Amino acid sequence: MWRRFFHRQTTDADLEEELEAHLAIETKRLMESGQLRAQAEREARRQLGSQALVMELTREAWGWSGLARAWQDIRYAARVLRREPAFTGAAVFSLALGIAATTAVFSIADTIFLRPLPYADAERLVWLGVSFPSIHGEFLPSPDYVAWRRDNHVFQQLAATQVSLSNIMILGAPDPAEVHAIRVSANFLSAFAVTPLLGRTFTAQEELPNGPKAVLLTYQFWRDRFQGRRDIVGSIIRLDSQPYTVVGVLPRSFVYPADAKIELLATLPVSPTASHRDRSMAAWAAYGRLKPGITLPRARADLETLYAASKADLPGFFRADNPLVLQPLRDHRVGNVHTLLFVLMGAAGCLLAIACANVANLLLARWSARTQELAVRAAIGAGRGRLARQLFTEIALLIASGTAAAMILVALALQGFVHFATRDLPRLSEVTTDFRVFGIALLMAFTTALLFGALPALRTGRIDLQSVLQQAGRTGASGGRRRARRILVAVEVALSVVLLSGAALLFETLWHMRNDHLGFQPEHVLAVSIPVRGKSIDDSTRAALASEVLTNLRRMPGTEAAALTQCTPLVAGVSLNTFSRSDRPLPEPFHHGDNISVCGAGPDYLKAAGTRLLEGRFFTEPDFAHPGTVAVINEAAARAYFPGESAIGRQILGSRAGPWKTVVGVVADTKNQGLNRPAAPEAFVNDTGPAGISDLLFLVRTLADEDFVARALGDELRANHPGLFTKTETLDHAIGQLSASPRFNTVLLSSFAAVAFLMAIVGVYGVLAFSVAQRRQEIGIRMALGATPGTVLALVMKEGAALVVSGAVAGVAGALLLTRYLATLLYGVKADDPRTYAAVVFGLALTAAAASFLPARRAAALDPAVALRHE
Amino acid sequence: MRDRIELMQGTLDLLILQVLQWGAQHGHGIGQAIRVRTEDALQIEHGSLYPALHRLERQGWVASDWKMSEANRRARYYKLTAKGRRQLVEEQSRWKQLVRAVARTMKPVKE
Repeated sequence: MWRRFFHRQTTDADLEEELEAHLAIETKRLMESGQLRAQAEREARRQLGSQALVMELTREAWGWSGLARAWQDIRYAARVLRREPAFTGAAVFSLALGIAATTAVFSIADTIFLRPLPYADAERLVWLGVSFPSIHGEFLPSPDYVAWRRDNHVFQQLAATQVSLSNIMILGAPDPAEVHAIRVSANFLSAFAVTPLLGRTFTAQEELPNGPKAVLLTYQFWRDRFQGRRDIVGSIIRLDSQPYTVVGVLPRSFVYPADAKIELLATLPVSPTASHRDRSMAAWAAYGRLKPGITLPRARADLETLYAASKADLPGFFRADNPLVLQPLRDHRVGNVHTLLFVLMGAAGCLLAIACANVANLLLARWSARTQELAVRAAIGAGRGRLARQLFTEIALLIASGTAAAMILVALALQGFVHFATRDLPRLSEVTTDFRVFGIALLMAFTTALLFGALPALRTGRIDLQSVLQQAGRTGASGGRRRARRILVAVEVALSVVLLSGAALLFETLWHMRNDHLGFQPEHVLAVSIPVRGKSIDDSTRAALASEVLTNLRRMPGTEAAALTQCTPLVAGVSLNTFSRSDRPLPEPFHHGDNISVCGAGPDYLKAAGTRLLEGRFFTEPDFAHPGTVAVINEAAARAYFPGESAIGRQILGSRAGPWKTVVGVVADTKNQGLNRPAAPEAFVNDTGPAGISDLLFLVRTLADEDFVARALGDELRANHPGLFTKTETLDHAIGQLSASPRFNTVLLSSFAAVAFLMAIVGVYGVLAFSVAQRRQEIGIRMALGATPGTVLALVMKEGAALVVSGAVAGVAGALLLTRYLATLLYGVKADDPRTYAAVVFGLALTAAAASFLPARRAAALDPAVALRHE
Repeated sequence: MRDRIELMQGTLDLLILQVLQWGAQHGHGIGQAIRVRTEDALQIEHGSLYPALHRLERQGWVASDWKMSEANRRARYYKLTAKGRRQLVEEQSRWKQLVRAVARTMKPVKE
């Protein structure tokens, strides 16, 4: 390539010499015919025409000059852009923001929708289960898993995992800590075609209910906790006071097929003889690897046969509304994030469009100012195509710089995304800044370039050499071009109205989530948990420990109330039961409806939570002499199950065997299923015994500093009971966690909207300021003919108002169309809330008026004499 | 404007090749020769010769060489190549066909 440039130089010089020779010969000829030297030289040049044009056309005849010409154009464009650092900076920055935002969002969409799962032959992996719509769940009951794994004809491997996300186990001495563990069937790794980095995978014995206990460590956990020691394989660690053998370490690239924090894998107890008859059902998630060549419909047919057998095995459990679910694992992993992703992609797209419109606008303005330069260049021989190419080179250079800057922003943006959005979006752990992301950025840049493609043609197509050169100095943007700029700005305004409306709606949602009545008072309330696990703790030692901690808590200065409980006001009870009452027939077995959460809570629970008692009483100390005999229900339960009657004195939550519980009170609802959903029916019972696991949970309301209480309690516990530790969280903090993902959505959309808004306002200002500069003369004449500064002010403001009003009208229409898709993300506000739109339009109009006022005032302050003399 | 250039192009090529069959000549000389031979009927723009010459050279029909010119300085002299000579014969016959065809269409009008 360098040789080419080199070659090109000599050839250029040659051509120049050739033309010089031509001139010399012609001059000689003319002088021989009697002309003077100077006159002859002039005449020779005139006859040759523009030497630049001749060279240009001749170079074109060389054919290969495209590259050289592009290089020349690039150098020229770079020179032009360097001359205007403010413009260039603004344009590059806008483009970088737009491209970075779209690239970040599209990269995430790409990961979620398009990238293959990070497993070998991932297209053969499927998710299967039975859907239980009444509890919003999909799982496979353990006996059916065992039967299906044994009897199917379509799977190479059928693996199971626990349905819930990771459970917390306590890693024993020397340094007790919580670890996140997930239980999987022994064939889990081979189903996902994962080979351990060290050691081996689980053996079939290790998944038997009484088999040897074994764990596999994740790479990160092995590195951080065990300093990557290779001799860890084969050693014993204690989890929940039980010995487990470390059999292997997972490779670094291992990704668990659900979004869960995971540090180690243990085995599920898979009993080969499991049957529905022994009522030992657990809910499992099942993942299958299809045999090569087996299609999904073929697999479904096989599974339907097995499902029919399961139905016969346990009549009444599976119903017509419990369909078999079988889908490619990738589709399963996408889940229900379509809405959020489409909203984000739309918002980022809007931002990019606005950035493009803004840059296009700036370019049109600058090219208007450069009309003369372009005309002169056309006059000295630059073809129309060449001019368009040069203008496009400027755009391309801007886009290239913008893309380069965007690449850096994208890397940062993606890190931010992965850090802040983890709850809502699946597969984020797989998002990496790799070539694919840069590919997407390039795609965005290319799209941008296409959007701009028509611009230079629009511009150069209008250069009328004669008129421009004759006008010399009286440069005026033609009507068509001004209209183009106005339309661009109106589009910017419209798009920013769409974004602002969306952001405003999400903002209101967040406000409602944070400020709606929670049903309790989270200030100064601590949830203290003490993990106690293993066989060494029996019920009486646990009760003794609980009362010791309660005494400690109550003794601490500032404690207002402390209660042992199984749940907090933010979480419905630990178990989900079917509601029953003694004066109605018992629900049939496996009834899936009429759910009620049950939570055991101590006497001071209500006081500690700060929840209002509506009717009757809460538990008192004497109630706990006979645990499980009385109940207090929340308002949602009273409304759902005792409509139009008083619940007090009724007997609920019994079964054929178990005792009935007498309702003694009704309490206010708390946000027990998240901040953006109504409260679920919940019953408190006078039983604080272990619920599944023996961990202790206390709710403490204190006037003292929360950190102080947490530290004092922790120190005391460690002193008296080595090996135990406390975990403390304020309810305020828990609420913050719950609103983290809506806050993320809001912050993201708001920042998109803010940038869009800023660009639109700058656009309005730019168009008006430019228009005033262009119309100085006209305004001067108007003023000379008697227009007052007031009418001139109105004239310019009116121009601005026309832009904003047309943009805003289109924007509101667009927003009404598009924000419908936000509906599922909203809470406490409707997608077509008129107040929100009014506020957005009003705010925009006010800002736009301010932006128009500056140029308008400049126009009004114009001295007609000066303006006209300027000509 | 573009149409006119393209219409001229083939004709100009033929004229250049025609001139060069009498011997090597530089750009200026070619222009002069065409002007003289057409008795100034065809106004050849001096500038338009060079792109045409360079194009013909690229097609391999003419070759160039630097020699001293009458103005006492180096000039680039063009001469026909063997390929160019064949091309000239072909162009000549094509031109004759064209002229005959156009002439034939004009006959009835004359009568």
